[in-house]
Amino acid sequence: MRPLTPRRILAICGMLAAILFVVVVISLRVGAYPISMRDIVVTLYNGAVGNGDTSEFSQVIFGLRLPRIALGILVGAALSTSGAGFQALLRNPLADPYVLGVSSGAALGAMLSLIIAPHTVGAIQLAAFIGAAATIAAVYFLGRRGGQLDSATLLLAGIIAASFLSAIIIFLLTLVNGPGLRSMTFWLMGDLTAPPPTQNVVGWFSFLYFIFIVAAGAMYTTSSDLNLILTGEQEAGHLGVNVTRVKLVVYVAASVLTGLAVSVSGTIGYVGLLVPHVMRMLFGTDYRLLIPTSAIGGAIVIVLADTLGRTIVAPTELPVGAMTALAGAPVFIYLMRRRIR
Amino acid sequence: MALTLACGVFACGMCDALAAEAHLQQSATAPTPADPAAQTAANKRATKLVTDETGRSMAIPLNVQRVVSLAPNLTETIYALGLDAKLAGDTTYCDIPPAAKEKPHIGSAQEPSLEAIVALHPDLVLATTSINRAQTADALLKIGVPVYTSDPHTMAGMLSSTATMADLLGASEQGATLVAQLQKRLDALQAALQDQPMAHVLFVVWEDPLISIGQNTFIADALRWAGAESIIVAKQNWPQVSMEEVVRLQPDYIVLTSDHLAAETHEHVNNLRDRPTWRELRAVELGHVVMASDEFTRPSPGLVDAIEALARELHPEVFSTSAVALTPNFSQRTVGAGLRPAPTTAKGRPLSQFAVAGSRMEASTCAR
Repeated sequence: MRPLTPRRILAICGMLAAILFVVVVISLRVGAYPISMRDIVVTLYNGAVGNGDTSEFSQVIFGLRLPRIALGILVGAALSTSGAGFQALLRNPLADPYVLGVSSGAALGAMLSLIIAPHTVGAIQLAAFIGAAATIAAVYFLGRRGGQLDSATLLLAGIIAASFLSAIIIFLLTLVNGPGLRSMTFWLMGDLTAPPPTQNVVGWFSFLYFIFIVAAGAMYTTSSDLNLILTGEQEAGHLGVNVTRVKLVVYVAASVLTGLAVSVSGTIGYVGLLVPHVMRMLFGTDYRLLIPTSAIGGAIVIVLADTLGRTIVAPTELPVGAMTALAGAPVFIYLMRRRIR
Repeated sequence: MALTLACGVFACGMCDALAAEAHLQQSATAPTPADPAAQTAANKRATKLVTDETGRSMAIPLNVQRVVSLAPNLTETIYALGLDAKLAGDTTYCDIPPAAKEKPHIGSAQEPSLEAIVALHPDLVLATTSINRAQTADALLKIGVPVYTSDPHTMAGMLSSTATMADLLGASEQGATLVAQLQKRLDALQAALQDQPMAHVLFVVWEDPLISIGQNTFIADALRWAGAESIIVAKQNWPQVSMEEVVRLQPDYIVLTSDHLAAETHEHVNNLRDRPTWRELRAVELGHVVMASDEFTRPSPGLVDAIEALARELHPEVFSTSAVALTPNFSQRTVGAGLRPAPTTAKGRPLSQFAVAGSRMEASTCAR
């Protein structure tokens, strides 16, 4: 394999970004409402220069399709990046946001907010963050053995937390009859149809992307150290890597990313597990390349899955979580078998 | 730049006068899909501020010409009001009356395509809490499409929702007439049943796992009008119930809805007789298993038909003796007095046929 230069990283990411762009254009073009390519360009131009276009084209493009695409990119990138982080952290190919219970914690938080304050703007997101953060803390401390972060214990703690939290969710679903709970059950399947909770859509997405960039950026700063840790923690320690600190940064960053994704889209499976594996097979295991390619790859997968989900059974829609599981499981088996051979 | 674009999008929900003008401008530049919008643009000028049954406020045009229904019961109500010409689209679930199946579909009630809704240029979208997701209404309101969500928990609530929807569609008179007719039939039923003890029933929403109804559902209230009372006491709307509880409470009747296994009554009873625990229930032994039409799960005018049919099954003695008094009312089964075709199709078949099938079955199985 050629040595990894910044130029090669940029070239590969540029190529993936081009694929993402094509997927976004396709996603903008197709849908139950027919819009020609020319009208899309005109509408986008009108929106960009801000001449107050309130046509139905504008409603569909700016009100429905673009927010969904923006959300899909964010969720896919966040889930894949956190998946890549958890896999390095645990040196375990099964690691993924769900295994560690972080998704369940976020979902429980979201659900509690739906019961307590169903109509408060942003309460769901805030509660999902809190739920994810609390689960991170609990799993992190449960996962320590003899003062060290132990991969096996951490994984076990995560599995226990996930099932415990899911049990609470089921318990609450049985007991409480809140107005938002119907949405909640769909939410647990994962979909991108929830509208932004505020009128200021651009501000809302800026907020979400800001969190993503901070968390993913923090993880990226550890990528060289992660490469060393992957060869062996003791060896990395001897080479001057502060292993505990790196693991902590990755764990917190990956968990923030999971909370971010779950808070806006519910629990979407397979992306966090699958995309980093595919990227590893395509481009190698170097985390300096793996983190950005996973982010872009995850965005491609989610936008594509959601576009398919809202077109293949049109006018009815399939939740994106069902689409990723439907497509993800066979692809994963194929890749696994090919690698074994 | 980006901020102004967002404001541009959402301004249309705020000031309808502006939006209407923009629609007119738009129709000049964009040919195909916007043309119907131009026709309705003039109507969109005049709006009134309405707060729906979930507390959402919105501006609804005074002259609504195009409605999209997001639930079967709402579609049925529109037909019962004789307003199907205004129905621009409905869901894939909408099957009563059969003509509703021919309307353009916007997807399922739970996973509709918002784009497909917008593509039908509706002046108003109707939704209900009993089946639609809150976020569907939220998302549509956000892009400036008014969505009236009804939230009936009782028959009275259903009737007032019907009247309100008729008002919104500019058909107050038809609404008042329909509601008065339905109320009259319910009152007649109440008068006929007033001396009857309540039948204790298990209303089965879902068989496996066993899901019944809570007290705060319109079904529980509909049962009361039919002279029946759910044995399940629960605050949740759709409680999961243990069989032990059912055995302990021993319902007089088991009420099933016809859509969940799509079989005739006798098949259902035989099914239940083959199943452990179920077959030991007194109601199953006696063949006291009633198929309610699937209208029973839809808060629409057709629910009154279903209530009358169920009352006949649960209290046959009342209807055999006072049949003369009640016949005039039942002859008006056609909801809205001729406003929609009589429910003589397979779906709308009156329950009395099931009753016949049921009693015949009872006799044969007893003989066995």
